[in-house]
Amino acid sequence: MINNPVFHFVLAVITVLCLPLFLRSGVLASEILIYGLAVAACNLLLGFTGLLSFGQGIFFGVGSYVAGILLTRYQIPVPEMLLVSLVLGAVIAIGVGWLSIRRQGVYFVMLTLAFSQFFFFLAYTFSGLTGGDNGILDVPRPVIAGFDFTDLWNYYYFVAAVFLLVFALMLRTTQSTFGHTLRAIRENEARASAIGFPVKAFKIAAFAISGAVTALAGALHAMLIGVAPLSNIEYHSSEIILIMTIIGGSGNLFASLLGAGSYLVLADVLSAIWPRWLLLLGLALIVVALFMQRGLWGLIESLVSSLGSLFRRAPAPAAESSAQGQTDGGKA
Amino acid sequence: MTYLFQILNGIGLGMLYFLLAVGLSVIFGLLQFVNFAHGAFYLLGAYFTYDLVERGVSFWVAMPVAAVLVTLIAAATEIVLLRRIYKLPHTFHILVTVGLALMIQELAIIAWGPLGGNVPAPEAFNGVIIIGNFVYPEYRLFVIVFTAILAGALWWVLEGTRVGAVVRAGSESAENTALLGYNTLRINSAVFGLGAGLAGLAGALAAPIRGVEPFMGLEALGIAFIVVVIGGMGSYTGALLAGILVGVTQSVMASLWPEGARLMIYLGMALVIVTMPRGLLGRA
Repeated sequence: MINNPVFHFVLAVITVLCLPLFLRSGVLASEILIYGLAVAACNLLLGFTGLLSFGQGIFFGVGSYVAGILLTRYQIPVPEMLLVSLVLGAVIAIGVGWLSIRRQGVYFVMLTLAFSQFFFFLAYTFSGLTGGDNGILDVPRPVIAGFDFTDLWNYYYFVAAVFLLVFALMLRTTQSTFGHTLRAIRENEARASAIGFPVKAFKIAAFAISGAVTALAGALHAMLIGVAPLSNIEYHSSEIILIMTIIGGSGNLFASLLGAGSYLVLADVLSAIWPRWLLLLGLALIVVALFMQRGLWGLIESLVSSLGSLFRRAPAPAAESSAQGQTDGGKA
Repeated sequence: MTYLFQILNGIGLGMLYFLLAVGLSVIFGLLQFVNFAHGAFYLLGAYFTYDLVERGVSFWVAMPVAAVLVTLIAAATEIVLLRRIYKLPHTFHILVTVGLALMIQELAIIAWGPLGGNVPAPEAFNGVIIIGNFVYPEYRLFVIVFTAILAGALWWVLEGTRVGAVVRAGSESAENTALLGYNTLRINSAVFGLGAGLAGLAGALAAPIRGVEPFMGLEALGIAFIVVVIGGMGSYTGALLAGILVGVTQSVMASLWPEGARLMIYLGMALVIVTMPRGLLGRA
């Protein structure tokens, strides 16, 4: 049951409903859902297709700029603006994906990183369009259908609705034939290609979806903070999205929301206590890589399975548990 | 004449880029390991130099001491941490080295403050050379000559000595090298340490030119990646060629279209990747 997508959707709904109860800041709550989308999109590439993209910040930044430019300079309504961000995100992701998937493994990672730097300097250089270092200021949260989004919690529920819709669609995608084909490519690309799947087209399609969703998240983020900052298209933006993805765990999409949420809450708490909290983050990343390779979700899975075997009072089948973790490596 | 000047400047910059990137390239060739902490070692080299010079130590002592310290720290890191993760997927190489880079950056801020500082050029080279209408700092000329000698020495070590032969053999097949009786674990630590030490040396040499600040490591990492991608991963000559190419492009562009200088470098890299996916001199 723990790996059932319907269950993951229920968990997402519960999270959306519970965030306002536990968080005082509507900004943080909205940010969790917005990054949740971006991280799920990154996960679609990393967890489902096996592509480690260091370029997710490109799409996030592009989305922010779409919101900034269309809302401040052209007064385009929000739904149309979000649509434009989706399309532009997909188009740029197709370009970046098409060029990057020419190489594999580490080379692919470096290519995506290179593109992320390229787009950063593009945004930095053409400051007439993007505001350069300052970004685009005064991005409004206009009134939509009678709802006043200047109130942060109202805006949260708007973000939540968009989040749940997109999250459901992404869950559906991962369960479709398309999603299963992506997993086949992740597991064994040569075989998937030999069976006759156009592997490259599938990878580019995964990029397109990922780019579209990430750009949507970027647009929502610019509306949330009222600025389309240069930092959204920076190396750090890509880095943070990737870190959240790995911390959450790359096996399923709810893990991404978990990763985004725990990162942002911890960052919020720690940065208030100690300005050098990134030192702890660095340490945490090393610990995750050494001891928690399946991320927070992997940790939850292990807990659930050990609780389960506790109630069953019978030892778990050796083959299964040794494949799951290092705990009974001694027996093997 | 203007261009000659810019090209000279670019070569100076390019030699530093080479020094910065060659370690990353060789480490990748030998260990198939992408080191996102490479820029952090450059940062450490620069800050150690800054710290020692601030304490009144001569630059000529501070520079080699900084490079040796970085080498030792990097080798220790390899022994304690990194060799445990080589067998993991690349995702975790990246995660660990990104974490390491963050820790080094934050420790530098704790130790030396968030603002950075300047390192004066050593007295013997703090003048300028005047050629016609152009003024060129002596220190930059020193950097060009010094790194050229170093690059030659490095080439000789890698191509002309037994140590270099073992390192190259290790990049071809770690297993066969081990079977021949070489302690590959020790070679790995040494190469990792020296590769990072070269980045530290680049940082030490760059400190009098560009000063020190806590985020210089990130910028250096970006440059090192470009140089390695353009030159071809694991290739010494590739790193040299690409380093100079990037340096000259950046320097010439800086006089033509200053805002777009960086953009052109990344555009150039994209072009190389599309037309020559293995880089200029990368092996298959």
